Amino acid sequence: MVRADDLAFSYSPAAPLLKNVSFQVEAGKIAAIAGRNGTGKSTLLRLCNALLKPVSGRMLVAGIDTRESSPSKLARHVATVFQTPEQQIFASRVADEISFGPKQLGYSRTQIQEAVASAIDRTGLSSLAHSHPLDLSHAGRRFITLASALAMKPRLLLLDEPQQGLDAAALQKLEGILKAEKAAGVTILFVCHDMDFIARNADELLVFGAGRLLCSGAVSDVFSDQALIQQAGLKLPDSMALAQMLHLPPALSCEQLIALWRASRT
Amino acid sequence: MALLEVDGLAFGTILDGITLSIERGERLAILGANGSGKTTLAHCLAGWLPASRGHVTFDGRAWKDWPLPRRAAAVQLVGQLPVQQLSGREFTVRDEIAFGPGNLGLPVSEVSDRTAEALELCGLAHLADRDPFTLSGGEQQRTVLAAALAMKPQLLILDEPVTNLDPSASGHVVQLVSELPPHITVVWLDTSPKTALEFAGRFILLRNGKCVVDGLPRTVLFHPESLAAIGLPPVAEAARLAAEAGLWPDGLPYPLTLQEARASFQKVKHG
Repeated sequence: MVRADDLAFSYSPAAPLLKNVSFQVEAGKIAAIAGRNGTGKSTLLRLCNALLKPVSGRMLVAGIDTRESSPSKLARHVATVFQTPEQQIFASRVADEISFGPKQLGYSRTQIQEAVASAIDRTGLSSLAHSHPLDLSHAGRRFITLASALAMKPRLLLLDEPQQGLDAAALQKLEGILKAEKAAGVTILFVCHDMDFIARNADELLVFGAGRLLCSGAVSDVFSDQALIQQAGLKLPDSMALAQMLHLPPALSCEQLIALWRASRT
Repeated sequence: MALLEVDGLAFGTILDGITLSIERGERLAILGANGSGKTTLAHCLAGWLPASRGHVTFDGRAWKDWPLPRRAAAVQLVGQLPVQQLSGREFTVRDEIAFGPGNLGLPVSEVSDRTAEALELCGLAHLADRDPFTLSGGEQQRTVLAAALAMKPQLLILDEPVTNLDPSASGHVVQLVSELPPHITVVWLDTSPKTALEFAGRFILLRNGKCVVDGLPRTVLFHPESLAAIGLPPVAEAARLAAEAGLWPDGLPYPLTLQEARASFQKVKHG
């Protein structure tokens, strides 16, 4: 679904940000992107939705070379939730905000209604459809931006720090939505600094640092490379740290840790 | 006398009769779910928002009686959205950090010393000449934190200060906060207890604009209202699940931090 071939990008020729980046994410997978601040993680998402074009190499999204496409054309396949909801929200009613995307895609009135209703329902915003988005809490705003993306029925969903600032209940809701979208065949690429969240939700992990892709692979494999984790300024998820302490195989969640622990004692 | 006294504070329908006092040098974490009123409370504690009922006094004097420059020198608040806090009038990170101390009318040498120190503390020295608006989200967050530290405030209020930071930068901020001189008082607001557990000696649970529980981290975290609103840190959750599975000995306290977990999980493993 996403494939980068020897991609390079820089905002100014004097300071290359990304180079020699090659990876691919299969359809229906959830891939996380991690690395230090300023290593080009959010930039990579913008390269996936064609807001930015590679300086050299290429980015293929749903089989389309982004250099030969545009953000509006790619919007049929790709939807993005940016890092700060307040910078993305502009409508004065939750339902209007969410219907903006489908309208731009030229959906019929019934299609728009259906897409908006479904997105509102899936994100649990039903009772707030007529509220002003900025009257909602941080979590509420975050779910509005997620609903706006879902209403466009993307095949690829790009999320920049989707877990940021969410409380325990909101996190659980977000994780449920990610699972449901994945089950429906949507590919998800998300940037994240929360290692526990990555371990619980992603299949694959791409680690960026020093202007390049340091490593990519299955989440438990990447986290097993201690030198890499240190170099990239990451940390082990707590469940994996505890699993190591107990000499158990990698555990991606507390539930998995306990299951492995039980199994090791019988 | 406590540094900050909050008495029956209400703000609109968001805060509902909050009473608490914060001692000089205290490291306090105020935790609560999204929409519980944390940010509004932070703004009231810093004197940015007036109370609609009750009052907030700093050093024995109500905030409304403090002239703005003296208030800015006494308390600094680092908000959730760094980009909204950048002055917008400075073209380099260095000048952005020097903006506050410069406005206090300090000697130029003092301003540049404080700026250099804050750049160093927040790991920004290599970005000092960059335009703050071209930085990544995490770098901007460190810039506004450095700008607050350069004011050398008595009270530092941090509203979810590490949400945009990578794990190593976040660990760095926690270390920085733990190593602040003991006379600086820190109030940290967050949705999750994990980071605050590393340095805060006192927790408060905020729910629907009320302070529900106030005390030692362990007391607050295992209060039923906290369990519902903010949940346990992952290592404590793992211990709770282990207890459910009959793997955790009766009477052994659940660990709260990874460090505590190392000790208690070893103990459990070796019987």
